[in-house]
Amino acid sequence: MSEHQIVLNVNGTSHTIEVEARTLLCDALRDGVGLLGTHAACEQGVCGSCTVLLDGTSVRSCLMFAVQGQGAELTTIEGVGSVDALHPVQEALSRHHGLQCGFCTAGVVMAGIELLAEHRSLTRHDIEVALSGNLCRCTGYVGIVDALEELAHRHASEGVSS
Amino acid sequence: MTTTMNTDGSTPNVGGGTRRVEDARLLTGSARYLADVADRDAWHVAIVRSPVAHARIRRIDLEAARRAPGVLAVVDGAELSSSSAPFGHLLPIPGIQPLEYWALAVHKVRFVGEPVVAVVATSRYAAEDALELVEIDYEELSPVVDVLAALEEGAPRLFDDWTSNEFLQAAYATGDLDEAFATADGVLTERIRQHRVIGLPLEGHGACGRFDASTGRLTLYASSQQPHNLRTVIASVTGLSEAAIDVIAPDMGGGFGNKQHFMREEALVALLAMRLEHAVVWSQDRTESFTASVHSREQIHDVEVAYRNDGRVLGLRVELYADLGSPTLYFTSAAPALVTTSLLAGCYDIEAYGYVLHAVATNKCPMGAYRGFGQPQAILTIERVMDLVAERLGMDPVDVRRVNFIPDAPRPFESPTGAQYDVGSFSEQFDDLLRLMDYEALRSRQEALRAQGRYLGIGVASMVEATAPNLHAIAGQFGGFEMALMTVHPDGHVSIQIGTKSQGQGHATVFAQLASEVFTIPASHVTVRDGDTTALPYGMGTWGSRSAVMGGGVVLKGAGQLRDKMTVIAAHMLGARPEEVTLAEGMFIVGEAALPFVVVAQAAYLHTFLLPPGMDMGLSAMVSYDPGNTSSFPDERGRMNVAATYATAAAGVVLEVDINTGEVEIERMVVIDDAGRLINPMIVDGQIQGAAAQAIGQILLEELVYGDDGQLRTTTLADYAIPIAGTVPRVDIGHRETPSPLLGGFRGAGEAAIVSGPAAIVNAIADAVAPLGVRITQTNLSSSRLRGLLRDAGVSIDPVAGRRFTRPRPPQHGADRLTASAT
Repeated sequence: MSEHQIVLNVNGTSHTIEVEARTLLCDALRDGVGLLGTHAACEQGVCGSCTVLLDGTSVRSCLMFAVQGQGAELTTIEGVGSVDALHPVQEALSRHHGLQCGFCTAGVVMAGIELLAEHRSLTRHDIEVALSGNLCRCTGYVGIVDALEELAHRHASEGVSS
Repeated sequence: MTTTMNTDGSTPNVGGGTRRVEDARLLTGSARYLADVADRDAWHVAIVRSPVAHARIRRIDLEAARRAPGVLAVVDGAELSSSSAPFGHLLPIPGIQPLEYWALAVHKVRFVGEPVVAVVATSRYAAEDALELVEIDYEELSPVVDVLAALEEGAPRLFDDWTSNEFLQAAYATGDLDEAFATADGVLTERIRQHRVIGLPLEGHGACGRFDASTGRLTLYASSQQPHNLRTVIASVTGLSEAAIDVIAPDMGGGFGNKQHFMREEALVALLAMRLEHAVVWSQDRTESFTASVHSREQIHDVEVAYRNDGRVLGLRVELYADLGSPTLYFTSAAPALVTTSLLAGCYDIEAYGYVLHAVATNKCPMGAYRGFGQPQAILTIERVMDLVAERLGMDPVDVRRVNFIPDAPRPFESPTGAQYDVGSFSEQFDDLLRLMDYEALRSRQEALRAQGRYLGIGVASMVEATAPNLHAIAGQFGGFEMALMTVHPDGHVSIQIGTKSQGQGHATVFAQLASEVFTIPASHVTVRDGDTTALPYGMGTWGSRSAVMGGGVVLKGAGQLRDKMTVIAAHMLGARPEEVTLAEGMFIVGEAALPFVVVAQAAYLHTFLLPPGMDMGLSAMVSYDPGNTSSFPDERGRMNVAATYATAAAGVVLEVDINTGEVEIERMVVIDDAGRLINPMIVDGQIQGAAAQAIGQILLEELVYGDDGQLRTTTLADYAIPIAGTVPRVDIGHRETPSPLLGGFRGAGEAAIVSGPAAIVNAIADAVAPLGVRITQTNLSSSRLRGLLRDAGVSIDPVAGRRFTRPRPPQHGADRLTASAT
């Protein structure tokens, strides 16, 4: 198995790591870079838990090889808000009880940030369709959609950027 | 959900919907789940699993795998069983078959996915590469996949030392069944089939073991709902003393019962860590979770119902066939079915009741716990029966229920199997449901829509549920008490170590709310931790809707003890008698004099000269709590009270069936819930909304499909569809807060919508398609299954007519594709 030294730019910091050609991006982020907030729940590209942003666009980090992440700006959950200063999406999810166990939550946050950055106006249906690739087994989704809907309304009325 | 919250950090009252203290960690990627706790140098375990459903293992060749790059050890069952004790069962049921199995299969495999060989390597990639190099020669045997076929004479037997595939048979009868059936105006006979699904926590199971040979200590991290009980099991399998084992359950990505069992892989990881004297980690992948973890629900109920012309049910006989899969699961695969038998009369006053349970081994993944634990099956059957009796008599289904409800008095009401229902009024709860649904108006609308060729369905169901159950009778051990270690620290802050392991239910928030109420200090001054056997001698974990009742109860008990001790100290410091002291807003008060909470706390540790003479220093209490009202064993009539208290709920569903596509759109779901006194309504509402989603998934989307060869066909999330955003309506929730007689007045809150919801959904679908001559006696009602039923009933359907509904829908799922030929 061929080894590659690659540079991943994650959350504004460059990390030089050794990976195999077949190493998945999610494994490189977790094991190589040491950022454990990205979760692999299906490793088949269905559940969305491992969603990260690649140059601002959401990708399944279990469906990409680490080597494909070179040269891009990657954003993981660790680059979004902090315990003391939550990102508005995180804050809204907490307020609307849009999480229980938290395992899918990183992916939901990343998908939500992308959605709100790309659209000036969103209906509830738009949000539901956009989130249909993020599986959650705990909440029944209503709190998640409520959170993003509130932010979308705020965007539309105030022009707040995420 | 209309929940008010305090977002300013002020002291939340019990009963207020405070935001969760857990959230910030979970939202920022700061939580640590099982796969996150392994040391960076930990070795990785991958498992060779049986590719066939039933076979003898003739020969295993490990040599090539042992030579593979990065491989450190390869172990099979023969080797492992020589250095460990087997799992078994501790069920005290007469006539039950013997059961003994090891972490890895020995001699035989009994389901696709059964663990056979473990490979340990430097990385998960290397370990998985080497799996293919393990050579196993299987002598394939005929698999038995269908539960009824498994009972036939001459069926292939899973266990050579059993007389048949029946693991256990249990029978019970109460009341005069013969009289009931002899005097009935009519008898209804039905077969109701409930299909196989999986709880499917998004984080799969996993374990990470470390062994220090110098001290002889094993540390096992496990994604386990019952870490203390797991330590007991691991001690038994490894031969280590419980004092030499630490089990730690880190943050958990859901459990739903699937992580309640004590898995072979957990024992495997422990044994490998001991053998290799090195940290090893196993993290279940999604396919392993589908093929080889815990399946649920599959049962057949043959019911005979004796009824009167006014709708009164006089007697109920049920023959249950529980498909256990391979019963190689501790505690046993039969446990949910045993619970089903205790609840088949539901919320109804049915005096004559009898059952025969056949718990049967088949060549499928073991059956076990999933939220509801046997209760959804019971409620589904009795609620379907109510509708079928109504259909026979031409009555409105709600009227049949009204004449059968358990009356409002006496309380407790003794169920036909001896459960002591300490609950509120079933009929008032039902009236609340019908009012919130606007039932009469719905029936009018239904009639109008039918005239337009649209098929609206209205379904209702009521449930009573054992919360805080005692597991003695169904698991042989692990009874119902709970423990906590509660400490008031010198700075006046409080820490709680508790045995109820949270899997996402917000325990750190709710137990802090309770302690805050007793101590009258801000909830932010209370820290709650769980899941660590090094910090608490024992605990029973989180399952069976027990945490509010038992965890809440033990927190109230311990907080009360510490408050009383602090009151005595404060009285001594103020020169007053304890009964003169009141505690309010964090101050111990006697007349005009007041001592802050923290000053009394400091006195107990740092200014001990201020304590009453002879008093023990410090403010810490190791508390255990058991209301003491459950039966560990049946009485001479076979009756037992299985739970410390009971919760009730009623669910109503309004949906429309598109008869051209078989698609169902749930228009409205209403749940009236009685979880006793609510600690945090936001969290309870979240439990109901989440369980409703699982109920919808179970009926409309989810189905584990086995081929006749015993191969599971639904092994990915693309084959097994669970609900997505937009497919779950906002549940309209109403709370009735009938306090339980126990400490705090709590009842369980986690399962109401999954015990009542599936029945209401199935009833609503049956109601929708009834005018088309379709009778529903099954629970798998995906669009393709429903199309098949419509076609079978001679309904002319037009799949190209276009979808009626515009909501997002999950991808065409496995069960659909696999049954496409039938439609």
